[in-house]
Amino acid sequence: MPHSARHLTRCAVLTALALALSVAEGLVPLALIFPLPGLKLGLANLVTVYALCRLSGREALLILVCRCVLGALVGGRLSALAFSLSGGLLALGVMAVLLRLPALSLFGVSIAGAAAHNTGQILAAMAVLGTRAPLVYLPPLLLCSLITGAVTATACILLVQRVPVPGPS
Amino acid sequence: MRLPAAERRRPTLWDAAVVLAVAAAALLLFFQISPSEGNFLTATVVLDGEVIAEYDLSALTDPVSLRLDDIPYPLTIQAEPGRIRIVESSCPSQDCVHIGWVDRVGAQIICLPNRLVISLSGAAEPDFDAVSG
Amino acid sequence: MKRFFSLFLLLLLLLCSGCSAPTVGDTGTFNEFFAMDTIMRVTVHGDAGEPAASAAREEIERLEKLLSRTLPDSQVSQLNAHAGEEDAVALEGDLISLLTFARSLSADLDDALDITIAPVMDAWGFTTDHHQIPTQAQLDALLPLVDCQALEIDPQAGTARLPNVGMAVDLGAVAKGFAAGRAESVIRAAGADSALLDLGRNITAIGVKPTGEPWRVAVQDPQDSNLYLGVLALTDQTCSTSGGYERYFEEDGVVYHHIIDPSTGYPAHSGLLSVTVVSPDALLADALSTALFVAGPERALDYWRREGGFELILCGEDGVVTATEGLEDAFAFQGEDGGYTYEIARR
Repeated sequence: MPHSARHLTRCAVLTALALALSVAEGLVPLALIFPLPGLKLGLANLVTVYALCRLSGREALLILVCRCVLGALVGGRLSALAFSLSGGLLALGVMAVLLRLPALSLFGVSIAGAAAHNTGQILAAMAVLGTRAPLVYLPPLLLCSLITGAVTATACILLVQRVPVPGPS
Repeated sequence: MRLPAAERRRPTLWDAAVVLAVAAAALLLFFQISPSEGNFLTATVVLDGEVIAEYDLSALTDPVSLRLDDIPYPLTIQAEPGRIRIVESSCPSQDCVHIGWVDRVGAQIICLPNRLVISLSGAAEPDFDAVSG
Repeated sequence: MKRFFSLFLLLLLLLCSGCSAPTVGDTGTFNEFFAMDTIMRVTVHGDAGEPAASAAREEIERLEKLLSRTLPDSQVSQLNAHAGEEDAVALEGDLISLLTFARSLSADLDDALDITIAPVMDAWGFTTDHHQIPTQAQLDALLPLVDCQALEIDPQAGTARLPNVGMAVDLGAVAKGFAAGRAESVIRAAGADSALLDLGRNITAIGVKPTGEPWRVAVQDPQDSNLYLGVLALTDQTCSTSGGYERYFEEDGVVYHHIIDPSTGYPAHSGLLSVTVVSPDALLADALSTALFVAGPERALDYWRREGGFELILCGEDGVVTATEGLEDAFAFQGEDGGYTYEIARR
């Protein structure tokens, strides 16, 4: 089953979508309006949430890693890979756990994911630079993630409700 | 597998709890690091245009020394929590040693004969673009 | 559904090929290099930033080859090498005009500045950094050689001559200012109108910052390298500071600094810790900061009242910082931290 053409196509399309979204949000330089390094909408998170909801954790992970690697290649900045991967993986892990909780909606999940993404990025920056300095950016980034998380959650709900559950392959 | 979160259209009370938790984490972290925010201090040692060492002076707990022997006039740099200096240099002018400790963002120690520059940067940007003196 | 996918693919291709990420903010072109025995930093904003910054660097390096006393092939070294000879030395127009300026400023300031101070600087070891205290007999023998009015300049022929053996020119007090003025012209000629030159802490502000605000230049506290006397807001001006605290040596508990009073042959002791000159003329600012440090507070303020074209910040040994009235709005005094009091001098 996992290697059926349908399955492969589905993952590939979602990867492409995630990549397109992450490139697209790069065109909207949010940091110009609000000068905070690492600030972005996190639209690519949409795909992760969708994959977690409608496919499986394994596939969501696969799509995420492919998206980050391709994104680094396309953007020509391999150094950014560490940041996007650490943020993405942490967000994925947190959301996978929270999705299993019965009481939350996608709002809570997506906001927690955005916060986790920012935390992961800052941790990576601290590791790469070898200094605690990037930590000052985390509190404002966390507050921003409340808004960006809610925005992506709204889009997510639409996506998950409207795009039909892929049938068994 | 059915995920209840995926089927909901409206936020629940527990979502509010997540929001509160993130906000609380942000505030907590802010107050945790804010006492030292103004002191976030990184010393960068640049030799002839190349960064050879970097010290996070605000995170330093014990004094460290850096001995540079492979330069025209060997010297010793000493870093302590929050400040740095050239403690001893074999350069003839001794201008770099005279400067003494520097502990402010924007401050610099320059050893011209060695083409060595130590500059301090930090979270609190200096409110000027250059220093005359 | 197929159409939907191909649309996505098309979108992806378009996004990836056509555009690169926009740069956030304009940090300008930054060029740092060593020249004229100091560290220089050139920052130029705008589209012409890169060519303008490299052109400025080339110009400064060209002038160094002309003006340095330590480079044996420089024109100044040629001039010095032929001191006392019959024939005048042919020099480039740049150097002729700089020598003429320095000689006339020296006359205006009753010899508080003298570019023929070289023999005395050498006796103190400030040229080679092998410091020593010359004897009074040595100084008495050398002081007659310090006389820039004796320097013969023929602007028509483009020649100059040092009449006595042992005389030598040292342009240390004016070279950075001259270079700053030339670098400024080069940057403007390259089409840039927002730049900051830091030539060994002589700061030249060209235009305004990309944000439209004036450049902000901190003035060093001469007694504490972590403090500032205040911050100047500058537009199209040069700010030059001289003080004995930059280069000095100590012997038997006495501090001997590198700004020599041409009349005594000893480090100037005029009651000032530092002098900051602000002027649209970079060369004037550099030359005056050294000259007025030697001249002392009264003569400095007299000269300011008599002449136009520059403003002053004097830091006195008595702990008083005096700014001339033209800087009242541009200078934000911060010297309280260092225990200074602040006064405004009026015409």
